[in-house]
Amino acid sequence: MDALEAAAAVVWPARFAAAVPYLMLAPAVLLVGLLVIGLAYIGDTSLRTLDTSTFLLSDDYTLANYRRALSESLFRTVAARSLQASLIVTAVTLLLAFPYAYLMVRTPSAALRKLLLIALFLPFFIGQVVRAYGWLIILGNQGMVNDALSLVGVAPLRLLYNYPSVLFGLIQYMLPFAVLMLAPALTAIPEELEAAAHSLGANWLRAFWHVVLPLARPGLVGAGLVVLTLTLTDFAMPAILGGGSQDFIANAIYDQFFRTSDQGLGATLALLLVAAGSLLVGLVLYLFGAGTLAMGRRR
Amino acid sequence: MTGSLGKSVVLWSVVACGLVILSAPTLVVLGASFTAGNIIAFPPEGLSLKWYSRIAGAGDLWNAFQRSLYVAFVCTLAAIPVGTLAGIALAKYAVRPERTIQVYLLLPFTIPLIGSGIGLMLLFGDLRLLGQLWPVGIACCVINLPFMIWAVMASASALDPELELAAASCGAPPLSTFLHVTLPAVVPGVISGSLLMFILALNEFLVSLLLVDARIVTLPVHIYNSIRSIITPDLAAISVVFIACAAAAVLLLDRLVGLEIFLKSK
Amino acid sequence: MKGQKFDSTVVLRRTFLKGAAAFGGAAALRVPHAFAQEPAKPAEIIVRAWGGSWVDSLKAGVSDPFTAKTGVAVRHDLTEDNEIQPKVWAAVAQGRVPPIHINWDTTTNATKSALRGVTEDLSDLANLKNTTDLAKPVGLDGYPIVNTYGYVYVLAFRPEAFPDGPPKSWKDLLDPKFKGRIAFYNDGIGFHFPAQVAGGGKLEDIPGNMQPAWDFIAKMKEQQPLLGEDPDFTAWFQRGEIDAACTISTNAREAKKNGVNIDWVVPAEGAKFDTDGLWIPKGLPENELYWAKEYINFALTKEAQQVWLDGLGLPGVVPGVNPPADLADDPSYPTSEEDFKNLIRISSKVQVENESEWFSKFKSIMQG
Repeated sequence: MDALEAAAAVVWPARFAAAVPYLMLAPAVLLVGLLVIGLAYIGDTSLRTLDTSTFLLSDDYTLANYRRALSESLFRTVAARSLQASLIVTAVTLLLAFPYAYLMVRTPSAALRKLLLIALFLPFFIGQVVRAYGWLIILGNQGMVNDALSLVGVAPLRLLYNYPSVLFGLIQYMLPFAVLMLAPALTAIPEELEAAAHSLGANWLRAFWHVVLPLARPGLVGAGLVVLTLTLTDFAMPAILGGGSQDFIANAIYDQFFRTSDQGLGATLALLLVAAGSLLVGLVLYLFGAGTLAMGRRR
Repeated sequence: MTGSLGKSVVLWSVVACGLVILSAPTLVVLGASFTAGNIIAFPPEGLSLKWYSRIAGAGDLWNAFQRSLYVAFVCTLAAIPVGTLAGIALAKYAVRPERTIQVYLLLPFTIPLIGSGIGLMLLFGDLRLLGQLWPVGIACCVINLPFMIWAVMASASALDPELELAAASCGAPPLSTFLHVTLPAVVPGVISGSLLMFILALNEFLVSLLLVDARIVTLPVHIYNSIRSIITPDLAAISVVFIACAAAAVLLLDRLVGLEIFLKSK
Repeated sequence: MKGQKFDSTVVLRRTFLKGAAAFGGAAALRVPHAFAQEPAKPAEIIVRAWGGSWVDSLKAGVSDPFTAKTGVAVRHDLTEDNEIQPKVWAAVAQGRVPPIHINWDTTTNATKSALRGVTEDLSDLANLKNTTDLAKPVGLDGYPIVNTYGYVYVLAFRPEAFPDGPPKSWKDLLDPKFKGRIAFYNDGIGFHFPAQVAGGGKLEDIPGNMQPAWDFIAKMKEQQPLLGEDPDFTAWFQRGEIDAACTISTNAREAKKNGVNIDWVVPAEGAKFDTDGLWIPKGLPENELYWAKEYINFALTKEAQQVWLDGLGLPGVVPGVNPPADLADDPSYPTSEEDFKNLIRISSKVQVENESEWFSKFKSIMQG
């Protein structure tokens, strides 16, 4: 160990200490840099229009795709739908995920903890197509829920292939992410703090509100951002549970790249989505992030 | 657990609701995989293992599964050091410009998967890296990296800075402070993050689709491309085998390191 | 070369098999002579195909016999036709060897690739002389694609939902009892042209004036149709979610074989007829190109077509292929000029140039 320390001191004298955090960040910045290079390709593509007599993109740069993306009502509709969905899904998912994570972390029963953990990972292993079929069996016109309803005389309800079912599917998909983001933050909150609050006469709701929630804020912000951004860019749920009429912006991008071969327009929509998503992330960090992420820092 | 009856009722009802939402389609598919009929149905039409025997004989499925495992290992091995260092740095130090860096590091989530896939395909194509499997692992690592970073960050930010100061003031040199105080504190985040990275890489479809070719096709790509006209119960059987493997892996991990350390509060 | 020019802009209700009988008889495979300079055989060639019964048919009819004959193994890449396209285009643009040797593709998609100039010319295939004129891509120079069969976007339906007999018109789907119980492809493919007729318009007005089609589709939107892909339709039929759908007959037939109660018709307004084909991307090593061409050449033999297209239930491009027993006299298996009267065929040129506009028009009606 001493030798290691000595080596470390030679390679990295103490006076470089200020650079340490940046060096620690460097690998991640470089790795994400791969995507940024990818974005550069996409940015170049977005400035070229498709010629349908040769199916090549124009050699000249033009902003025509951006004009189209911002003016066509189809894109406005799907963009508004994605944004609204991301806000609703984030709120509901956090509401469901917090108690789940809390119970998973705090329960004295190891068996229950493992059950809750395994239940989180189960949905990942049935892919989108099979999962959609599973929901069809449960929520379809002749599905289990409608069968049960018909026993009490309710006519079959259309539970699938509408906006609420897309939101539902997204919440189900996002719940494990949110719980797994929250759990480490909750493990870090000493149980004694809550006990102390109780002993001072606070009821559980007050203790929760004034002690647990504030301390869990980094986890909540992290989980919220994950759910928000993943929902905003999702394309699988609208495709499988939307019945084809609930497209999100990512579905429109998919169509341009893969169906109509208009990569220029697809690239434009993708870049606009990245810009909107990044703005949203910046806003969330500005509103909720300031200071909270720095709790473990030397002051 | 400290708390009252009211608390338990609220907690349990929300968690029960979460459990049902999470597990319902999986349980249905699980049951349906034992059907003797030709379509996915629940309750299954008669019990049989015929769909399992059908997939047992498919060598290409097994090969694709092994490739997916390899991709998931590459992804996780890359994510652990990269994500851990970045998570600790963001949680412990006032890096500047902080918000810009965080927005930047969330790019993998704000870029739609199709955009990431096309971009990486063009980049890896120019670098002549396509046709190999490890770049697929790196791609899976990049597109899911925020999970790792945020998981580590969440546990690192709870680390008591006094502890590190104490270690330092007791004469512990910086490297051992890092190894003996800082790192152990973030282990819960690292484990939770890497589990997620591994599982996501194992199941990744869209980006992999653009980066693999027919010779190195991964399991999700293999499965979901093989459907054209009809979904048959063999897909349900594959899901079940997949889940069984995952459960075995989680149990093994539990035996080896104990999942308690990353879930139980101190 | 930046692409190719079309020589024809006609919208045609196609006269079929013209002159086909002149050739008749079995097409002989050009068997490579032992003494000829035969390029080195690659270990395998990769053929992109659709999954499920589609690839099974191709394997049985073409790939396996080809391997038996030549010793060249065939691997199938099951990436969707839409999704392989950007991969192949990027490979050609970056000067890489493409990820596949042969693309089994829709003629419309293949035409885009041909226009872009990423396809090899196939005019020198020996067996082309035995094919009907369906094999020749309309409006392209030479053979950048070889069409291998035709197919119809039929109106598939559940007989229980139509107690008074099969639907006769696409307009029958406007009956209020079918609200929420019909399905189309999510870009409307296969439905635009019959909708033009059902909406009171003329096929000759495509693409100039398609307002009748959009009006009819807007009426159909009131019926809250489900939009999806082939496996969705089958799943929806299986689970009783829908009563009718506009889909490719092959998929309806496959569902029927798997026990789904389903039947299909070509309604009075007609149904879209189109073709699929095979093509080879540019950038392959010489010897692999040679064997890829041999593969397509083999796919044009009567033996190969018979087995392959029996599996698909579709009419081929080589005279003398017999329809499978269950499809004799089926409207989705046109064999005579009479059968073609009710089918709508629009030239690939018009389709590729206007398709993205049609798709987005359909989408904006459906997403509204």
